[in-house]
Amino acid sequence: MAEKLILVADDDRDLVTALSIRLRAAGYEVVGAYDGVEVYEVAHERKPDLVIMDIRMPAGGGFDSTDRLKHSLSTRSIPVIFLTAFDDEDMREQAQSLGCAGYFRKPFDDVEFMDSISKLLGS
Amino acid sequence: MLAGALEKAGFEFVAVPRDSAGVKRVADFNCDLVLWDLEDSSPNEPTPAERLRKSGLEDMPVAVIVQGGQGELAARSLAEGAADFLYKPLGKDPLPRILASLSTGQKQRCIAWSNRVIEDTGRQIRGILANMADPAYVVTPQYQILYMNRAAEEIFGEGMRGGTCYRVFHDRDEPCEVCGKSKGSGRWRSVLKNGKSYRFMSADIRNSAGELERLAVATDVTVDEEVGKIYKTFISNVSHDLRTPLAAIGQYVGILLDGLGGQLNEEQKGNVDVIKRSSFRLRNLVENLIDANKILSGPLKLKMEKADIREIIGIVLERLEAQAEDKGLDFKVSVPDDLPPVYADKALIAQVIANIAGNSIKFTEQGTVQLRVGYIPRDEGRIMISVEDTGIGVPTEDLGNIFELFYRVEGDKVYVEEGAGLGLAISREIVRAHRGTLWAESLEARGSAFHFTLPAHKNESGAH
Repeated sequence: MAEKLILVADDDRDLVTALSIRLRAAGYEVVGAYDGVEVYEVAHERKPDLVIMDIRMPAGGGFDSTDRLKHSLSTRSIPVIFLTAFDDEDMREQAQSLGCAGYFRKPFDDVEFMDSISKLLGS
Repeated sequence: MLAGALEKAGFEFVAVPRDSAGVKRVADFNCDLVLWDLEDSSPNEPTPAERLRKSGLEDMPVAVIVQGGQGELAARSLAEGAADFLYKPLGKDPLPRILASLSTGQKQRCIAWSNRVIEDTGRQIRGILANMADPAYVVTPQYQILYMNRAAEEIFGEGMRGGTCYRVFHDRDEPCEVCGKSKGSGRWRSVLKNGKSYRFMSADIRNSAGELERLAVATDVTVDEEVGKIYKTFISNVSHDLRTPLAAIGQYVGILLDGLGGQLNEEQKGNVDVIKRSSFRLRNLVENLIDANKILSGPLKLKMEKADIREIIGIVLERLEAQAEDKGLDFKVSVPDDLPPVYADKALIAQVIANIAGNSIKFTEQGTVQLRVGYIPRDEGRIMISVEDTGIGVPTEDLGNIFELFYRVEGDKVYVEEGAGLGLAISREIVRAHRGTLWAESLEARGSAFHFTLPAHKNESGAH
C-alpha cells in the first residue's frame, strides 16, 4: 500500500522541516506549504490524506485556507488538524466550526500528536 | 396687661409700634414669636406675615391678635402665613394661649426650614443630574420617560419625554430583559445609537407622591472596552510568538534524542538533555505567565459543574505520583468514600491541587507528601483538601507573603530552579473564585501543610 501523504502548512520553515523528519520516520510521505495560497495549490495538486495547518500564515491564514479546502469538491473530505500557538477559546471554537479533526497547541506533546495522526490515517 | 403677663412668666420681650421702624426692631431683636395686634388696622393694608416677609423675616413666626368676632381678618392672616391668632380680649391669664402660639410658631419655623433643605437638596440633585457628563433618565414602571438629562438629550434629542424608554433608547418593541426581570436595582450594558458602549445602573426611587420610578445612569465604557480588546489581542499575540519558537526547539530536541539525525554519544545525549530540560522550564514559565495574566487580569471565567473530588484529583494524580517517585518520596492519597460532590471548574481545581502538591514535592527531599480530603459540616458543608509534607517548610516571616505574585522565599537552602512565584497567587485566586479559602501552615525544617476548602454542592436547588 502506498504511503499516506501529509501536507504540513506552516510559515515556520524550521518547524515544517522538523515535522517532516518526524513524520517520515513514522512512515508517512510529507509535503510542505508555507502560506495560504501554497496550501490550496499543493492540496489540489497532490490530494494529501491529511493537512496539518498553522493558523497564522501569510496570504490567507489557516482558517481561510481550511474554509476554501472544505468548499472545493476535490479537497473537502481531507481531514485538517490545526497546529497553532494560539490558545484562545474563540480560536478553538472557530476551528471546531470549520469541522477540524484536531487542535494542537504549540509547543505540543509528540506522543499525543503522532497518536492522533495514526488514528486519523488508520495506520 | 399682655406685658404684665409676659414679664410674670419670665419672657424677654419688646413692645414696638406697627410701623416700619417697629418691624426693623423686630429684626434686630430676633425673637421666637411676634404678637401683632391688628386693632384699628385698615382692611386693605398687607397682613403682618407679609410685612415681615417683605423685610426679609420670612422665617419669623407671627400670631395676630384680633377683636373677637373678626374671624375673617384672622383667617386672611393665617392664609398669608401667620402661625396662629388670638382673640381679644385676652382674658385674665393669656399665658397658655400665648405658649400655644409660640409652639405653633416654632413648628412652622421648623417645617419651613425642612422644606427649604428638601428643596435645596432636590435642586442640587436635579442640577447634578442635569449637568453630569453621563446620560441619565427617569422612567415610570410602565416604561414611560419622565425625565432625561442634557447628556441623554444630546444622544436622543429633546422632546422625548413621555415616550417609551425601550423604543427611544434601545430601538426595541418590548422592554429590555433586565428591566422586565429585575425589581429594584439593575446593571446592564448596551450600545446606544451614538455607537458608543454604555454601562447602565438603575435604582428604584419613590417620587413625592410615593409612586415608584426608576432612575438609570449610563457610563460611557467605549474606551474601556476598546482597551480591553486591544489588551486581549496583544496578550494573545505575545503568547503566540513566545510559544512558536518553543515548538521548533521541542521538535528538534526530540529528533536528536530519538536518533533521527544519527546516533548520539553519551556526552552529546547529556548536552541535548540539558537543552530539553531548559526548554521545558522556559515553556512552563511562559505558560504560567500567560495563565497568571489570564487569571489575575480580570474576572475569572469558570466552567462550573457538579463534580466528584476524586475525579478532579484523578486528572493530576498520575503526574504527581511520577514526580514524587522521581525524588524517591512516598506519595499518599486518602479520600473518604462518602463525600458530597463539589460544584467547581474541574480543570482549575485540578491545577490548584497540582500546584500545591507539586510545591510540596519540590520542597521535600525525603519522607512523605500526603494528599488528604475531608468534610467540614459547617455552614452549607465544605470539602477540605490538604497537602502535608515533611519538607523544608516555610519560614514564619515568609508565610504571609507566599501567596503574593512573584514572591519567592530567599535563602541558600531553598534554591530550587524552576518557579516564578506565580503558582500560589494563581491558586488563591482560583479558590477565591470558588468561594473557598486557601491557607498554609508550616514549621521550618519540619514540613508544611496547605489547605483549601470548596463549598459542597447543594442539590439542584443550589443557587448558582
